[in-house]
Amino acid sequence: MNNKYDVVIIGGGGHGLSLAYNLSKISNLKIAVIEKNYLGSGASGRNGESIRSAFGHDAWIRFHEEAVNLWETISAELKFNVMFTQCGYLVLATSPKKMDVMLNTVKRQQELGVKCHVVNKAEIKKIVPNLTTNIEGGVLQTSGGYARHDAVVWAYAKAAKALGVEIFPFTEVKSIDVKNGKITGIITDKGDIETPIVVNSAGGHCAQIAAMAGIEIPTQTYRLEMIATEPLKPFLKQYVSALDQIGYMHQTARGEFIGGTEPPNFLPSMDLKCTMYNLKDMASKFVELFPCLSGVKIMRQWTGLMPIAPDASPILGPVYDVEGFIMDCGWTYGFMATPASGKYLAQLIKTGNMPSIIQPFSFERFKTRNFIIDPTLVVEAAITE
Amino acid sequence: MGNNKEIVCFCQDVTKEDLIRSIDEGYDNIETLKRYTGVFMGPCQGKTCGMNVLKIFSEKSGQPFEELKVPSIRPPVVPIPLGAIANSNNGKDDE
Repeated sequence: MNNKYDVVIIGGGGHGLSLAYNLSKISNLKIAVIEKNYLGSGASGRNGESIRSAFGHDAWIRFHEEAVNLWETISAELKFNVMFTQCGYLVLATSPKKMDVMLNTVKRQQELGVKCHVVNKAEIKKIVPNLTTNIEGGVLQTSGGYARHDAVVWAYAKAAKALGVEIFPFTEVKSIDVKNGKITGIITDKGDIETPIVVNSAGGHCAQIAAMAGIEIPTQTYRLEMIATEPLKPFLKQYVSALDQIGYMHQTARGEFIGGTEPPNFLPSMDLKCTMYNLKDMASKFVELFPCLSGVKIMRQWTGLMPIAPDASPILGPVYDVEGFIMDCGWTYGFMATPASGKYLAQLIKTGNMPSIIQPFSFERFKTRNFIIDPTLVVEAAITE
Repeated sequence: MGNNKEIVCFCQDVTKEDLIRSIDEGYDNIETLKRYTGVFMGPCQGKTCGMNVLKIFSEKSGQPFEELKVPSIRPPVVPIPLGAIANSNNGKDDE
């Protein structure tokens, strides 16, 4: 480890590594990535792997449509197969209320270039024959799908290293130095580093990292749990998310059915222990949606952390009280955003200007109260319109 | 897979050579080796292959066997059917 870098990124997950790669690609800056555990040990290796852009708010749709376009070429660009599978992404409603939400958003999604359309009960029966018939309908985005989340972390790490980025796993940030309102460096358990720019890509720990720089961010970290079943013969091609069940699921190339749901009484916590409460919620909802899973065995259950801002949208870019502190936080759909967040935050750091596509997600929206509320998320925002 | 067919992980057909090559490629932490090769991730969740994987990892990395940490153990201990846990009233409440 050197004692001086132009940019230090805290968090060696997909986001931190994507930014390191993208910034290194367009600049000669000396970049370090600091990760407390192994690379991808946080939410980057624990998420549901889904990729879509059919959202309900213009800012979400535009940004994620750009991300979907980047996913299409990312394996070739990084020379590493991230197994991006464009199998289609089906958002499902089992209640008329949630179906209305989708019918109200699909036209705008199409206007903004998203390849999606409404599918009725009969059409869904055809494309997902094992699904319960107790549904209202859905929206199918044919350009959506999933990718292998661990491979995304490795691909960006490898490509970033090849461009000269220095990556330090098993290195913990102890404090951040701020002098006269400017970032001057960080202190880690492996040594001190001088730097004018620190990026907060710390996932579930983003509020703690921000606090080290004296910044209070309005995110609260929640725990989500997921399960993987024993491998099955291919029975589910599409990625499926269910608005009423607050659930998301797919079948991997290995044949495992993987998914998670959000139970009622969702409370902030950073505990990574698995609970029977969540397991029961997942098992009940997955058997409800796919009755054929009733006899299928659960192999594994795990937990990941998700920081949620009051409007459940990410917080990107500079903060105005501390110069040189850049946010890449508050991600609730962070995995699918990985290629795009890295690209546009790299542009911000290089030019000093906030790219227009990420401008709506800036930290100042909490002062101006220009909240971004997307009705199609499968997380509940604390603020509602 | 190369010519060496000494299979270590019977769930995912991972050979000794696959493990050694993966460690050489930089997946030299037991948690990343698990995710890269699939060992510990099949139906046995490491109950069949675990000790042999750790032994190969120890020999290759030079880290003493006694000091190795197994990857996080995830519930359930024994695979259980979803239907055995699901609520009969489809998860709407816990009554």
